Amino acid sequence: MRRYPSIAGLSRSIFVTAAIAALCSNAFSAEPNGVLVRDPHYGEVLFHFYQQDYFTALTHLAAFREQKKFSHHADEAELLQGGLLLSWGQHEEAGRIFEQLLANADDPSVRNRTWFYLGKVRYQRGHIEAAEDAFESISAPLPEELDAERYNLLARIYMDQGRFKAAADLLAGWEGKAVWAVYARYNLGVAMVRMGELEAGAELLNSVGAMSLGANDNDELLSLRDRANVALGFAYLQEGSEVQAKEILQRVRLTGPFSNKALLGVGWADSASQDYRKALVPWLELSQRDLLDSAVQESLLAVPYAMAKLDSDPVAAQYYVRALQIFESEIQRIDSAIADAAGGRLVNTLLKDDEFSTGGWNWQLENIPDDNRTRYLYFAIADHRFHEGLKSYRDLIALNRGLYSWGEKLDTFSNMLETLEVAYADRLPETTRMLASDDLQRLRDTYNSLQARASAGVDAHDVVSFAPEVEQAQWHRLVSLEGMPGWDSEAASDLRDKQRLLKGLLLWEMEKEYKVRAWRQERALQDLGRQLEFAEQSYAALENAEASVPGNVGDFDRRISALSPRITSMRAQLASSMDKHIDYLHQIAARELNSQKDRLMSYRAQARFALASIYDRLSARAE
Amino acid sequence: MGIHHLVKNIFVGTMLALLSHISLADPLAQAAAITSLDHDTQALKKAVLDLNKELFLLEEELLYPANTQVAVFVSMDVGQYFALESVQLTMDGKDVGNYLYTEREVDALHRGGVHQLYLGNLKVGEHELVAIFTGKGPHGRDYKRGATLEFAKNIGSKYVELSISDRVEQLQPEFMVREWD
Repeated sequence: MRRYPSIAGLSRSIFVTAAIAALCSNAFSAEPNGVLVRDPHYGEVLFHFYQQDYFTALTHLAAFREQKKFSHHADEAELLQGGLLLSWGQHEEAGRIFEQLLANADDPSVRNRTWFYLGKVRYQRGHIEAAEDAFESISAPLPEELDAERYNLLARIYMDQGRFKAAADLLAGWEGKAVWAVYARYNLGVAMVRMGELEAGAELLNSVGAMSLGANDNDELLSLRDRANVALGFAYLQEGSEVQAKEILQRVRLTGPFSNKALLGVGWADSASQDYRKALVPWLELSQRDLLDSAVQESLLAVPYAMAKLDSDPVAAQYYVRALQIFESEIQRIDSAIADAAGGRLVNTLLKDDEFSTGGWNWQLENIPDDNRTRYLYFAIADHRFHEGLKSYRDLIALNRGLYSWGEKLDTFSNMLETLEVAYADRLPETTRMLASDDLQRLRDTYNSLQARASAGVDAHDVVSFAPEVEQAQWHRLVSLEGMPGWDSEAASDLRDKQRLLKGLLLWEMEKEYKVRAWRQERALQDLGRQLEFAEQSYAALENAEASVPGNVGDFDRRISALSPRITSMRAQLASSMDKHIDYLHQIAARELNSQKDRLMSYRAQARFALASIYDRLSARAE
Repeated sequence: MGIHHLVKNIFVGTMLALLSHISLADPLAQAAAITSLDHDTQALKKAVLDLNKELFLLEEELLYPANTQVAVFVSMDVGQYFALESVQLTMDGKDVGNYLYTEREVDALHRGGVHQLYLGNLKVGEHELVAIFTGKGPHGRDYKRGATLEFAKNIGSKYVELSISDRVEQLQPEFMVREWD
């Protein structure tokens, strides 16, 4: 397998590329001004969104909204839902949400961003005037990335309406992100050249083509610069300004994706100046390159053309013969590719290594099989409609797989519920007995009594009640002595002194420890209280479960029973839609491949005709 | 000679067509077929999305009922001093999660996304959660830190946040575990 930097780079038109980039790439931004996530579930949706996992993000968003988990992000969540739908290619539903949001939202930031996304939806659906209205309803600058897209799309709208001056004025006053401005200038330049405004168009294309960039600069910009130079060079060629054309085409990098076209153009510029020897240099180089490029195919005719001009008819004839052999072989390859497309192998070949995540709208095919039969698929893939259809088909496969997994899960859930019912029946007698007993109430009474005793002890500063059992026993023994017969007699005088001393010592000790002991007691009671609360909550939950489990199990059973056939029906609809997509993709591919074949057949006819002419000339000379 | 002019004209015309922006418009019938397929596909995808939402809710309500549900989230604020690689989670001494983050996931966290690291059930009562964060600290050094939270689980859902932020004055990362308000 070969890895290609970007299939979009092969797109036939920069307009298409820029428009797709504008409409699809990072289609929705949830970072208006650095949103502070206050609901964890809102952040969880953003987590999937930022990874471009739009389907998961949308599923979770819808579920969490239903569970009312976005108390702090109500408007933002709605805007996010619209944006996610847009990113997932659901333009119709996204448009409905944006319209609804505009009718209800008061926050200017939300309203401005909503206008922006609504403008994108309308533009995608071809409602150009309505899209313009939406973009012009934005009353304050948007975040930088969105503003760049807005200007670019607005410029496209003006160009679509033929208002080139308005587009040029808009771009002239725009100081947005460089890459968007460059795309916009390129598009406008090409549009003006096509309208016959070469001078104005050339100025715009030249501003892109003469950009100062280093070799390490953004590859996208380097390619765009080359593309502008090729466009301008060929515009000059068509106007008959060969010298200017050559000068511009020589700016193109020799190794970039546009080098083939530039080499061909340089050759034509020399050829137009009658310098066929010079023209041969780029054309001979080009004729050794990959035949997939139409410029290389055309060089196979251009080389013998120059040879013939240099009065080298025998050599020119050899080159024409070689070209005929190559065209023949390429036509056979295209025939094989057309047969593949018709046989249904094309899409499966393209997606055979795909992971089918529900990635959504930004998915790009990066690898395509690299063999003789499939190489012409490049042209099909470069077609915007083919690529969008392929993405849609891929989404359907991912959805189908997801539903298959859910079907298996539902079986597991049913088994779980059966087990739960059995466990419930087993435990019900013991649970009923426990709930009917007054165990918990007795515990609560005991706790209340303990708490009352502790409070009374504190109120009365009863140091003895907080003392450990040993000290309390000693205290009670000392006090009980006072009730002994003869305690007040003279003979017990020494005993009374000792008892008073010991009582004083003990009281002093208990007084000293009182605060710590009272605090510990309070803590212990608090812990006990918390445990008791947990126990009461558990009892309540148990009571609730005793009453609700049969109902809940029944409810879940009903939901599962209703969902299972829906999964089956939806999978059948997905399968049918996938078949339609395959048909559609094969039609596009076959049309594109046939167009390639027609071109090669035309070259073959031209080569045959030119070869016949040379043979005629050689015969005439021989005679 | 005529053939060569023809070749050149075809060639220049072809090249200009390649380089100009082209119309995506198809013949009417084809455009209608595409629109219809697109419309039907969007309707089907919406129906699947609705069904998926119901299945998601069923799973969550069945496996993690609100009364016992506990969710642990990972969030990141700036995270300049710490490149997250993994988080290991223990609940009451038992390993309940060990998650390795991809570059894409870390980027999503940086941009404000919140990762639900754990979703489970806990009984009413006192619990202890320990999170071990592993990654690269300042100057690219291996970095491992832990954070603990003791919390009470009552009836109802409980959300816990593991937060990674920057302690700018000390040029160090800070790890916190707290109950999400």
